Amino acid sequence: MVKIPINILLVDDERDFVEMLALRLEDAGQRVRPAYSGGEALDRLAEREADVVILDIKMPGMDGIETLKAIKAKYPLVEVILLTGHGTVETAVEGLKSGAYDYVLKPADFPDLLSKLEGARRRKAEQEERIRQAEAKALVRRTGEI
Amino acid sequence: MIDQKRSIRVLLVDDEADFRQPLAKRLTKRGLAVAQAGGGREALAYIQNNPVDVVILDVKMPEMSGLDVLQRIKAEHPAIEVVLLTGQASAQDGVDGMKAGAFDYLTKPVELEQLAGKVRQAFDKIVRREEQAREAEFRAKMEQRMIAAERLASLGTMATGVAHEINNPLAIISEAAGWLKGRVAKDEGLPPQLKDNFSLALGKIESSVERAKRITHQLLSFARKTDSMIQECDVKELLGEVVELTRKAADEAKAAMTIESRTETKIWTDPYQLRQVFVNLVSNALQAVEPGGWVRLITGEAGEEMVITVQDNGSGIPKENLDRIFEPFFSTKPPGKGTGLGLSVSRGLVEKLGGRIEVESRLGEGSSFRVFLTRKPLKTPDLSEAAVGP
Repeated sequence: MVKIPINILLVDDERDFVEMLALRLEDAGQRVRPAYSGGEALDRLAEREADVVILDIKMPGMDGIETLKAIKAKYPLVEVILLTGHGTVETAVEGLKSGAYDYVLKPADFPDLLSKLEGARRRKAEQEERIRQAEAKALVRRTGEI
Repeated sequence: MIDQKRSIRVLLVDDEADFRQPLAKRLTKRGLAVAQAGGGREALAYIQNNPVDVVILDVKMPEMSGLDVLQRIKAEHPAIEVVLLTGQASAQDGVDGMKAGAFDYLTKPVELEQLAGKVRQAFDKIVRREEQAREAEFRAKMEQRMIAAERLASLGTMATGVAHEINNPLAIISEAAGWLKGRVAKDEGLPPQLKDNFSLALGKIESSVERAKRITHQLLSFARKTDSMIQECDVKELLGEVVELTRKAADEAKAAMTIESRTETKIWTDPYQLRQVFVNLVSNALQAVEPGGWVRLITGEAGEEMVITVQDNGSGIPKENLDRIFEPFFSTKPPGKGTGLGLSVSRGLVEKLGGRIEVESRLGEGSSFRVFLTRKPLKTPDLSEAAVGP
């Protein structure tokens, strides 16, 4: 079976972390684009959408939660996984309420991160499928009316 | 401590009995408790065995001069005040005496009123000094306590900050090592020996990151606030989970674990936090026992409370450590084996769940940690304030 790579946007102000995690995710067969701030993340998404955004909560300037809200407002189907230090779990919970798919603690357990990425992609795919079906139904109904 | 209302204990020292005895009588009538001595040696012997506040001391005595006696008193009983009695012609003796530590001097013949007044003044000085000493002691104790509290608080703040700052580089190390490990595993071109060693080294980096991560996460759980889930749960089931979670450690320690539960074990609490507490307590117990030892988990009742005992027949805790085991960073385990945070976090968790932990231990016989919990939350739990374990 051919593995379809997940399109990931990896957002963290720690460049070293982004580079290393990106290498690792790419070796695991995923496609990763880096971004080093909330603003840059929104710019990258404007160029091209992603399946999943991995987003650090603690960033200078526009923090993770603000970025999350901006992403969800503009691209509601893009799933977001939050990266958090142990001390910011309440923030992570706030993030989940604002539409994040899940969160992982730093330093992340890699297999755990991979399975959450898969889960996020699945949810996005299911949602897109539902939308397609709804559109089809709407189309049928409209056609029926004619 | 000096009772200001009790009568002042006076020792009157003079070699002339004709002078001494009537004076003693008159002073006693004034409400003083007067003892007498006919010479320096007798006076010193009396002071040695009886409490005395003020000594009235004649300077001119045949056997031992008053000034010598004064020096001995001041050297051996600095708290005693001395009033000197000097002859009319030898005021210099009085001045010398004051330089040597006498409270004051009076010239003979003494006026009773004046002498009684001096004795009272001398006694007031003693009372003041004792009060100052008590106050200083109290202040020192409070300051010590405040320093300890402040140190713990600032330690907590600093530890949390450090933990945060360390987590980021740890994450980088972890990802870098993980990536390399994956690459090495897939690389066919590497000599097998080298490949094994690379994997070994990278594995060590990963396990060390894991070790550091355990510490930072436990540090953060000090300050961490999160949503606590108070619900009805069965402590007996929870203890069963704890036994499962620690089974590996128990097997390694070759220790038997049993749950004894004959009482009602339903309780309203946060099962996750409580489980964390018992995992910590059981892990400690398992580290204390010898092969063939045991750890018992016993549920019981103490009035309205449920009490859960974690008992072991391990090495026990030395008395001098019993007061300190709940302090953060206190650990007797070798480096890398304990963070020194398990018990302090456990106590924090239990207290936030409205309970308390007590410990009893005998060296060589084992330890018992008793966790007391109220069956129902007394008030609606304040979710935001509850801490959680790692």
